[in-house]
Amino acid sequence: MTGKDLMSRLRANRGSEPTLLVVGIVGYLALVLKSNGDLLEGNSIKGILIYLTVPILIGLAQLVVLAVGQMNLSVGALGGFLSVWIAALIVDSGLPPLLAAGIGIAGGALVGVVNGVLVVVTRINGFIVTLATMTILIGLQYRVAGTRTITLSDGWFTDFGSADVLNIPLIFIAALVVAAVLAFFLRRAVPGRRLLASGGNPLAARLSGISNDRSLILAHGLSGLIIGVAAVLTVMSAPGVNKSIGGDWLLPSFAAPIIGGAALAGGAVSVLGTILAAFIVRLVDVARAQYSLDPSLVNFTIGAVVLGTVVLGTIRENRAARAPKDPPKDTAKEAAPLAGSPS
Amino acid sequence: MTTQPILLAEKLEKVFPGVRALGGVNLTMAPGSVHALLGENGAGKSTMIKIITGVYRPDGGSLTLNGVERHFKSPHDAVIAGIGVVHQERNVVPEFSVAENMLLHQLPAKAGLVDREAMREQARRALDMIGLDVDLDEPVKGLSVAQTQLVEIAKALTTTDSKVLLLDEPTSALTLAETDRLLDVMRKLRDNGTSLLLVSHKLEEVFAIADTVTVLRDGESVLEAAPLGRFTTGEIVDLMVGRSHKASDFPARSVDRAQAPVLELDALSTGFGHRDVSLDVRRGEIVGLYGLVGAGRTELAKAVLGLDRIVGGGIRVAGKDVKIDNVGTALGRHHIGYVPENRKTEGLFLDQPLTMNIAVTVWARIRNFFGYVAKRRERDIAEHYVDRLGIKAAPRQFAGQLSGGNQQKVSLAKWLAADCEILIIDEPTVGIDVRTKAAFHELIWDLAADGMAILLITSDLPEMVTLADRIVVMRDSRVMGTVENSHHYGETSKAVIGLVHQTV
Repeated sequence: MTGKDLMSRLRANRGSEPTLLVVGIVGYLALVLKSNGDLLEGNSIKGILIYLTVPILIGLAQLVVLAVGQMNLSVGALGGFLSVWIAALIVDSGLPPLLAAGIGIAGGALVGVVNGVLVVVTRINGFIVTLATMTILIGLQYRVAGTRTITLSDGWFTDFGSADVLNIPLIFIAALVVAAVLAFFLRRAVPGRRLLASGGNPLAARLSGISNDRSLILAHGLSGLIIGVAAVLTVMSAPGVNKSIGGDWLLPSFAAPIIGGAALAGGAVSVLGTILAAFIVRLVDVARAQYSLDPSLVNFTIGAVVLGTVVLGTIRENRAARAPKDPPKDTAKEAAPLAGSPS
Repeated sequence: MTTQPILLAEKLEKVFPGVRALGGVNLTMAPGSVHALLGENGAGKSTMIKIITGVYRPDGGSLTLNGVERHFKSPHDAVIAGIGVVHQERNVVPEFSVAENMLLHQLPAKAGLVDREAMREQARRALDMIGLDVDLDEPVKGLSVAQTQLVEIAKALTTTDSKVLLLDEPTSALTLAETDRLLDVMRKLRDNGTSLLLVSHKLEEVFAIADTVTVLRDGESVLEAAPLGRFTTGEIVDLMVGRSHKASDFPARSVDRAQAPVLELDALSTGFGHRDVSLDVRRGEIVGLYGLVGAGRTELAKAVLGLDRIVGGGIRVAGKDVKIDNVGTALGRHHIGYVPENRKTEGLFLDQPLTMNIAVTVWARIRNFFGYVAKRRERDIAEHYVDRLGIKAAPRQFAGQLSGGNQQKVSLAKWLAADCEILIIDEPTVGIDVRTKAAFHELIWDLAADGMAILLITSDLPEMVTLADRIVVMRDSRVMGTVENSHHYGETSKAVIGLVHQTV
């Protein structure tokens, strides 16, 4: 990325990424001071990052759907179902973990594609379609898990889940790889650009020969695929999976991309912002442990931050929408000499 | 001309529910020419453009490009075939860079990845052609309206070997200097063999650049591919407004001009961009508000109703200065009603019965002490207006099930129920068949005869000449002048069009 590229990108986001970076660093340093440096120890860092893995991935799963101006309410239900299904395939059916993981990820992508196709074919809002699939998936999850907790016996699969390089968990690195691939896809790949164009202005996209239907299906499919990865990493790292897993994924999945600067109407998302936002949300959790605060405070804080971000974003949009109404006359004045027009 | 036409449209037809937008239009474009497509609002120009560019599919007729008959299934098909277009509406992805917006229809790619260098290079070439100096990497949302429009024009130029370029009102957001530059670009393209189709309301610019002209009126071509040089501006205007209109046979209605106006706008300026708009309406008077689409008429009405900020000047109702913050105040305190242009989205609750649709404005009056609105009272009111306006439906029917004309009557009925004294009626007969239209005109006429003050916004000039007493002409959010309506179509329409186009 050239310097000019980076600058225009930062300008485009009106600084939401740098702000999040500063908030994250300051927050972390404050907690480090409070803990008398305990948080700088390897185990603490590892603890923070392990529980940051899933929030990043489900945030990205929501982000890619937000990019086309849709929502995916089935993020948590799909993640939960896939987790118990993968675990059950390994434990009950005796499948090799690698095969089970592959089936899980493919299954996630398939469910996502089904979501997308339903939205395209029925023309019903994705909110309602994924609300329905969410309920179905919760039922399936319960069907597979029952009341038990499925625990994997030790093996390379679970070892990977707890392994780390210099105290950085491998599963966290895996999440970052997914994020990097997604960011690259959305920035550089032709289908990724088309997806964002469909979200940014469906009419302009259509007039440019872009199929908005294809963008919708692609976005939902990618969302399911990423949730599949999140499910695999969950099965690897969690001590066991049961019917309640995934139940608390929905709010964070929205919180991270929205705080990270995504426009709910579609077309504008930030992978980096999503990761930073997930990190900040994670810090709230760490702070609670650090200060032994009431757990309810965590949800309260995250909710307030989401609300504040959305309100700020709306104010910003309104201001931006109002601004360009008047200036055309001025820009015209300065544009004329540039043209060397004889008038 | 004996050369084979580059684009030939024969007997194009397009029917929308209730309206025949095009009824057998022909268009013949010669290579290397600038062809003007003219016509008043609703004559079918935009429909025509949308058919040629594959946005709509025609219901009849054929389209031949360079000797080959074409059936475009999507806008992309048309682009591939070599038809570039700049639509009237801005069509950009605001978050995307200038370069990417310009190449969105054919992103240069290597192995599935966007080739940014190639993209920038192609975009740069097109921008150089029109001499626009903007940062290729800047997101389009940071540009001014004029710059965005120029970017879209440049986008049409990136279409590789674009043989035909369609420009729908390309200069509506441009200044004179920018317009001049665009005309230069058009000349250059023409000399290189491209055929251009120009749709513009600015006749001076049409005469400056075009060599051939086709005029549409009421969905039919009244002048086909004629050399423009043979006509004067006046003759073209005559062809555009055309039809000798049947004089209205309504009973005479006189307005007491001596009385004080009930609604006065005094040098009103709004957040939307209106500057120094002054007009007044008396009891029993119909004042027309004419202008091209985008002249700011609807926006003016909305500002009066408190839906936009007033930044200067004032509004007087019955001689008193008033401040209107919202529609509730406008209706409740000042008895101003607004019948919106789009009845489906703004005028009606489609999934509710007529009773609710009509009585909604008077709930405050008919509710009892506890706030309960009795169904019987709603029905009484609805029945009264169904009867009075001749709405062909039962009060319990849902608004969504009615025909367009009846829906419009319901949309009007609720303001009558609310005892409005001032009524702003916006495009009352768009998409309504001819017979209902006449009935509606009579209704509006009678309302005024009964003493209502009416501000009528319509882009339908015959309708305007039929109904209005005076016609205020707007352009670019300003008042250009007022025309006393003689109810002689030719005379009045020429005066109005003269003001709109500022023909010298």
